[in-house]
Amino acid sequence: MFELFISPLTETYFQKALIGGSIVAIVAAVVGCLVVLRRMAFLGDALSHAMIAGVAGGYLVMKLFFGLEAHAPGMLLGSLIAAISTVALISFVSSISRVKEDTAIGIMYTGIFALGVVAVSIFRHYIHIDLMHFIMGDILGVADTDLWVSAFVAAAVLTILILFFRHFQLATFDPIMAASIGLPVVFLDYLLTTCVSLVVVSAVSMVGVILVVGLLITPAATAYLLSDRLDKMMILAALFGVTSVIGGLYLCVWLDSAGGGAIMLFCTLQFLVVLTVAPKYGLLSRWIRMRNLIPQQIVEDILTTILRYDRPTPKSIIVKYVETGKGLDRALKQMIQDSLLSEGNSDFTLTEKGLTEANKVLFAHRLWESYLEKIGTPDKEVHSTAHHLEHLHGKDTIEYLDKKLGSPKQDRHGKRIPR
Amino acid sequence: MMTKSQFAIEVEHLTVSYNARPALLDVSVNIEADQLVGIIGPNGAGKSTFIKAVLGFVRPDLGTVRIGGTNAQNAKGQVAYVPQRGAVDWDFPITVKEVALMGRYQQIPWYSSPRKEDGETAMEALKMVRMEEFADRQIGELSGGQQQRVFMARALAQGSNILLLDEPFAGVDAATERAILEVLDRAKRSGKTLVVVHHDLSTAAEYFDKLLLIKQRLYAYGEPAAVLQEDLLSQVYEGRLRIFKDIVTKEGA
Repeated sequence: MFELFISPLTETYFQKALIGGSIVAIVAAVVGCLVVLRRMAFLGDALSHAMIAGVAGGYLVMKLFFGLEAHAPGMLLGSLIAAISTVALISFVSSISRVKEDTAIGIMYTGIFALGVVAVSIFRHYIHIDLMHFIMGDILGVADTDLWVSAFVAAAVLTILILFFRHFQLATFDPIMAASIGLPVVFLDYLLTTCVSLVVVSAVSMVGVILVVGLLITPAATAYLLSDRLDKMMILAALFGVTSVIGGLYLCVWLDSAGGGAIMLFCTLQFLVVLTVAPKYGLLSRWIRMRNLIPQQIVEDILTTILRYDRPTPKSIIVKYVETGKGLDRALKQMIQDSLLSEGNSDFTLTEKGLTEANKVLFAHRLWESYLEKIGTPDKEVHSTAHHLEHLHGKDTIEYLDKKLGSPKQDRHGKRIPR
Repeated sequence: MMTKSQFAIEVEHLTVSYNARPALLDVSVNIEADQLVGIIGPNGAGKSTFIKAVLGFVRPDLGTVRIGGTNAQNAKGQVAYVPQRGAVDWDFPITVKEVALMGRYQQIPWYSSPRKEDGETAMEALKMVRMEEFADRQIGELSGGQQQRVFMARALAQGSNILLLDEPFAGVDAATERAILEVLDRAKRSGKTLVVVHHDLSTAAEYFDKLLLIKQRLYAYGEPAAVLQEDLLSQVYEGRLRIFKDIVTKEGA
């Protein structure tokens, strides 16, 4: 136990990874909530890829003009510029041409990513960027500068989001109303994009270009399945971000795997678990809801069975006429709750409400029978077909049939048609 | 302006264009206060541009839109907007009360949280539309008519005297239509001016006090009987006259 859980904590690299990862995960998850709700996940992906051009550019400029090797602030600034110009290019292309936004995103980010890759390989004697490191990240080798950068970014972005929470909430939910009360909607859009870029830039060195978008949207989407309020969603998302980092780092140490990969794997598994068991929007609860739904058809069959039996009906009779699997008891219980039935000594009677309903169905049944006969359905099929069709007893349907048949008083057996 | 204008919305020579094509051409109309006004016209007639102009979103090429005497572009928030149901993300993590509270956002300074009064105003607005018991529900769990009422509550909480509704009757059943109409009526009686974009000509006469018929130009504004004239409708709805003959005759009867 000690070996598994405590001993990694004593290693400096693990501590740094844990702190840096958690900081990045928290802020990414909180911003991610807005990214998910605004459906701009693809843009997050684009920003992370575009960064490489900025990193290369920043590196090159600082080295050529100032002779500084791998100057972190320079590269950070470069990637921010690259990210923002990517966004500008995307909106430019999608607004002046018939190319739609998602395509414009795809074109621009691959293009700028490619520019970065080419630049890095051309100037490989000047700039020493490990492309593999850039793509996969290296959370176990977090440098102190990276930690500071991400701490500052996190503080700045979280401050902005908390201060302008209502503004972002309204501009995301209903931009027209937001504009109508004078909120600077366009400015808020750019502010959010800048925040996303900052977060992405500070996270790439840890989890890499490809996985950063996962850190942005997966915890947020996980929280989305559990919350009905934006503030709660953001808090939960931050929590899921942190648990992903902790779980992932242990996974990575135990399995001796890549850090970023382990974190995202854990994060995705976490999402899948929540997707399954979430109380309201989860698959399991949906399945249970569907199962508990009592088909209207069974309810109506029970009603007509009791009506035809014409006295308190024991369950054994109902079972004979109503085709259900195991659901009969539940259906009966529900119908008593809906005051369609009342339960006597091991038998059931229709209440007044139940009687009305039953008569309605029976009426439909008789009408359908008459109709089927009229259109020449073979005798022995009439009853069973009508039995299926009697569940179509909407007002319009019944009126149509009744009119078409000339409001018959009796059915084919000479029985009165209940009205 | 000498005194406060007697008209809720004054539109004068309003001309708005997109790429050398006029969306609105020389529209002049004065809409009185305390009215339920329906805006009708075919697709692409400039109805949404008209809404945008009233909300102060577009800079007119020519002309002015005044809200209670103030230029629309400076009257931000004086017109409360109720969006089309299809334009809302009903899965958004937000509760009924929070939506109503949004009506107060303009009054809350950016550095402070909503005060207690804001919450109370929001609840009061929800009571007016009889949605107070749903305050903690997520908006997607409501029926179509309830959803519309929540947004009405938001508009009421905003405290504006003018409410602008974008097709509130689109895609709801007859019973819901009644329920929404009742809320509109109540708002009108409490002294609001309601401007409603409406699609269904067959119900237009029954629902509204005044109708505004546009297709780029203003074709008519006034009592439904005066607006739903065969010759006017045939000009605006070209070639699709046959359908409207029924409406006109029904109106005449």
